[in-house]
Amino acid sequence: MTAVRLHLRWLLLAVCAVFALLFGGIVSTAQARDVLRVGMQLEPPHLDPTQGASAAIGEATFGSIYEALVRVATDGTLHPWLATRWSVSPDGRTYDFTLRPNVRFHDGSRLTAADVVAGFQRAAAPGSLNIHAATLREVVAARALDPLHVQVTLSAPDSEFLIVLAQADAAIVPARAVATLGQQPVGTGPFRLDGWRRGEGITLLRNPTYWGRPARMARIELRYIGDPTAAYAAIKSGAIDLYPEFPAPETLRTLAADPRLQVLTAPSEGEVILAMNEREGPLSNRAVRQALAHAIDRRALIDGAMYGYGTPIGSHFPPQSPDYVDLTQRYPFDPALARKLLAQAGYPHGIALTLKLPPPAYARRVGEIVAAQLQAAGVTVTIRNVEWATWLDEVFTRHHYDLTVIAHAEPYDYDIYDRSDYYFGYDSPDFHRLMQQLKATTDPLERHRLLGDIQRRLADDAVNGFLYQFPHLAVQDRALAGVWRNAPTQTIEWADVHFSDDGQSVALSGGGGGAGRLGGWIAIVLGALVLGLAGWQLGTGWLFRRLGVLGLTLLAASGLIFALVQVAPGDPAATMLGINATPQAVAALHAELGLDGNALTRYVRWIGGALHGDFGLSYTYRVPVAGLVAERLAVTVPLALLATLLSIALGIPAGILAARRPGGLSDRVIDPLTRLGIALPDFWLGVLLVLVFAVTLRWFPAGGFPGVEAGPGPVLRALALPVLALALPQAAILARVARASLIGVLQQDFIRTARAKGVGEARLLLVHALPNAAAPILAILGLQVPFLLAGSALVEEVFTLPGLGRLALQAIGQRDLVTVQAVVLLAAGATVLSSFAVDLAQALLDPRLRRTSGSAGA
Amino acid sequence: MSRTSVAFRIGAAITALFTLAGLLAQVWTPWRVAAVDIAARLQGPSGAHWLGTDQLGRDVLSLVMAGAATSLGVALLGTGAALLVGVPLGLAASAARGWLDDVLMRGADVLFAFPALLMAILLTALLGPGAINAALAIALFNVPVFARVTRGAALVVWTRAFVSAARLAGLGRVRIALVHVLPNVAPQVLVQASIQAGLALLAEAGLSYVGLGVQPPAPSWGRMLAEAQTLIGIAPRLVLVPGLAILLAVSGFLLLGDGLSRERGR
Repeated sequence: MTAVRLHLRWLLLAVCAVFALLFGGIVSTAQARDVLRVGMQLEPPHLDPTQGASAAIGEATFGSIYEALVRVATDGTLHPWLATRWSVSPDGRTYDFTLRPNVRFHDGSRLTAADVVAGFQRAAAPGSLNIHAATLREVVAARALDPLHVQVTLSAPDSEFLIVLAQADAAIVPARAVATLGQQPVGTGPFRLDGWRRGEGITLLRNPTYWGRPARMARIELRYIGDPTAAYAAIKSGAIDLYPEFPAPETLRTLAADPRLQVLTAPSEGEVILAMNEREGPLSNRAVRQALAHAIDRRALIDGAMYGYGTPIGSHFPPQSPDYVDLTQRYPFDPALARKLLAQAGYPHGIALTLKLPPPAYARRVGEIVAAQLQAAGVTVTIRNVEWATWLDEVFTRHHYDLTVIAHAEPYDYDIYDRSDYYFGYDSPDFHRLMQQLKATTDPLERHRLLGDIQRRLADDAVNGFLYQFPHLAVQDRALAGVWRNAPTQTIEWADVHFSDDGQSVALSGGGGGAGRLGGWIAIVLGALVLGLAGWQLGTGWLFRRLGVLGLTLLAASGLIFALVQVAPGDPAATMLGINATPQAVAALHAELGLDGNALTRYVRWIGGALHGDFGLSYTYRVPVAGLVAERLAVTVPLALLATLLSIALGIPAGILAARRPGGLSDRVIDPLTRLGIALPDFWLGVLLVLVFAVTLRWFPAGGFPGVEAGPGPVLRALALPVLALALPQAAILARVARASLIGVLQQDFIRTARAKGVGEARLLLVHALPNAAAPILAILGLQVPFLLAGSALVEEVFTLPGLGRLALQAIGQRDLVTVQAVVLLAAGATVLSSFAVDLAQALLDPRLRRTSGSAGA
Repeated sequence: MSRTSVAFRIGAAITALFTLAGLLAQVWTPWRVAAVDIAARLQGPSGAHWLGTDQLGRDVLSLVMAGAATSLGVALLGTGAALLVGVPLGLAASAARGWLDDVLMRGADVLFAFPALLMAILLTALLGPGAINAALAIALFNVPVFARVTRGAALVVWTRAFVSAARLAGLGRVRIALVHVLPNVAPQVLVQASIQAGLALLAEAGLSYVGLGVQPPAPSWGRMLAEAQTLIGIAPRLVLVPGLAILLAVSGFLLLGDGLSRERGR
């Protein structure tokens, strides 16, 4: 008996050792204060702001990597940036810009007038994806007068031309590098791109040759954490220094009470609207829209969805503007009146509308409350939550919706109401006339009057439900200073950001490149050795039969995946191009992505490529999928491996303890624990672990992954909690299987014989019984490995780990189906391989299994 | 069945409790499930709201009751559909043997090659989120489970003496399969069904958690959990209640399956 205890004690010690290893990472590292870690909500698809509609591109790159000719200040005034001076001709059609001398791009080349001219031409070219392409097409001529002078001529005067030039999509880029800007951005800004781990974050390094005062931070790490919970955990646990747009307003009160943090709120240029599709149906009727306007209680909405942060608006205009007109009382909240107006408009029994909501938390929350409010006025609302890609496709591009909730963050964007092809389809000659007048007017007083009329017109027509002005909700380290906020162009003055308690500097760690390749070779050699051993032991016939089945299963699985993805609705090329998809652009992209040709050709091309490690080009990022997957495997493989080890270290000893004396004390303790363990949702466990160990105790980071190059300490620290969340339920399963299998073996004759011969209990259990009970345990382990490789998506989501499962989730959300295909194929491959490995191990352990070709999992 | 096992009784009690709560929610809940009342949000448990209110002022008890209907409904629908397809397939494979058996079992192998949750996520993303599609996705990866269990159990029954007797009496294979084999594999299939229902419940919670399950304002435990996560510092109850509901309901099904298999072994 004592011998058993001794052995079990060793096992216990081993378990403790694993934990010690994990906890060992908690060495308090000195906080480097010239590295800024910034939390962001949305990851950009690429990094070329001049060719893309995603606001995330500008947020990541504008003011940091790229700069424009002019910049707008908080009060709307224009200031020099890359242009030191400019003049406008009396007729308002010709602009002369003087460029700043001695400005160099990150690639070392000098900024010249030719780059600026090429930029104008590129933005206005046919097929341009620039969001202000329409305005920039007003440029009839752009000429370089000399290397530092540019002259631009417009087709007609446009009082807002310079404002367009201050936006991210008017960033000045080197003419030679435009083709690769999306992946290798080159600008003039205080920072240059260091690296981009897709799905995780972007790193910027200080530009040593910056024309202005050098940036005070040596490095900026942008991390993409859109999930409100993860964002809260990241800022609270100190993993993030600055969150310019914090997605969880409900937690601001708690965060403000934290002495290390500071909460800053400021009005933004963002208007949150309940957009209505007025092309057809009841919403094309102005009376119906006015009725709905009476049904909305903005105060309850702001309290409920934004926890009080936000300012009610009555039209599409920001309240801090001097031209703002308060129209919030135009339609007082009155459900009874709304019902009556609806009846008068011809709908006495109410109407039924579909509300499609994009992913951001504010939209989902506002949507749910708006639905309840409209319900009270007799409108039946069906909510559909959609991903961004679906929203862009169905709502924005194809106008297939009734209602949606969205923030319009662009400054001076009332011109969207002048575009009848815009997604809400407002088409008003009166409004068009007002806009024409405004464009032609430069007199400030006259402009003020016109802007008031514009707001009143939109309110009178109740074009959309105007809900509230989105506040900038920034949470930052209290020591952080110099963050320029509340600007119409939504840029942060990255160069000035610094910590007031500036401490020691930190050396940048270099990456370890060749390790992956070496690992690959080691794996191949090991695999060949195992196969050779198996062939020698089990006979080549057995081996080849199993390998044949394996290959066929994989082939069938790949066909199934391919077929599934083919029937997915929507054209990936059209989705990628978004709002600016022309037929030519779509066709060109089809060829680039290999989407031309029939299904069989594409399947063969895909499998052929996959065999060479080429999985195609990601639809979202336009980089090889193989590279994305390899990056993610660097997270997922250690995660899966550690979780498997921990579950074995916990589960097998627990199973042995319980099986030693069925019905005994340890069995009675372990049994209910393992029962609960199996039923435990691992993502819920993950949330609880974050709250206890990251947010409250601050022992571990709440999420994210520092990268393999950070060394074993930080990596183990980052993986400790997710490993625990994944391993505990798996350990429970293992323990139950081990117990059942061991009890079965312990009842057999040879055990009784051994016991009768006086073999000690510990030796009996571990040497005689355990190997004979191994088959079912191995079978379960074989299922566990593939589950941990890709099925851990939810846990990776909770901890914002850039692993394979989360890549699959993200790719599905972005309709990046070529990436989805690759991940699922890889997961299927891992499953088939590990079941082969289990068969192999079982056959080697038990010669009786070698004759049958049947599956082992019976 | 003189004395049922403790596991069986606890499992049955939990499952019955949640089933009744879900059924009751169809006709009555303490408060209207979707009734938003911002003024009354984030209240602690009280006489009026036994489990308090959530971030939109909805009654948590009513949400949990209605969520039980969703979660159990989707799980049972998925498991039931898989039973209806998987059991006949497994039975057919055991009866026919030969190439049909090979084709069906290799087909099951192919389906087993996909991680279940990943496939469910992919399917619901492609088909569009919603309760029915979630149930379909759950059904798909449960079909091979039932086919295999049925086939394995049926193969044993086919070798039994009473089957040989029936065959000598001139009964056809189909008739024997339905009359003699099916009733004898039913208990084992039922045990598996109960376990799979528990796992289906977990899958449904996971799908709802990532927003691919039933859509708002229809309540579900997984979404309650996802929506309340950030409020843990303010109202931890909102994270604990749906999580515990999932944990309990899944345990219920697993205990039921365990209990059933012990009954059989008696």
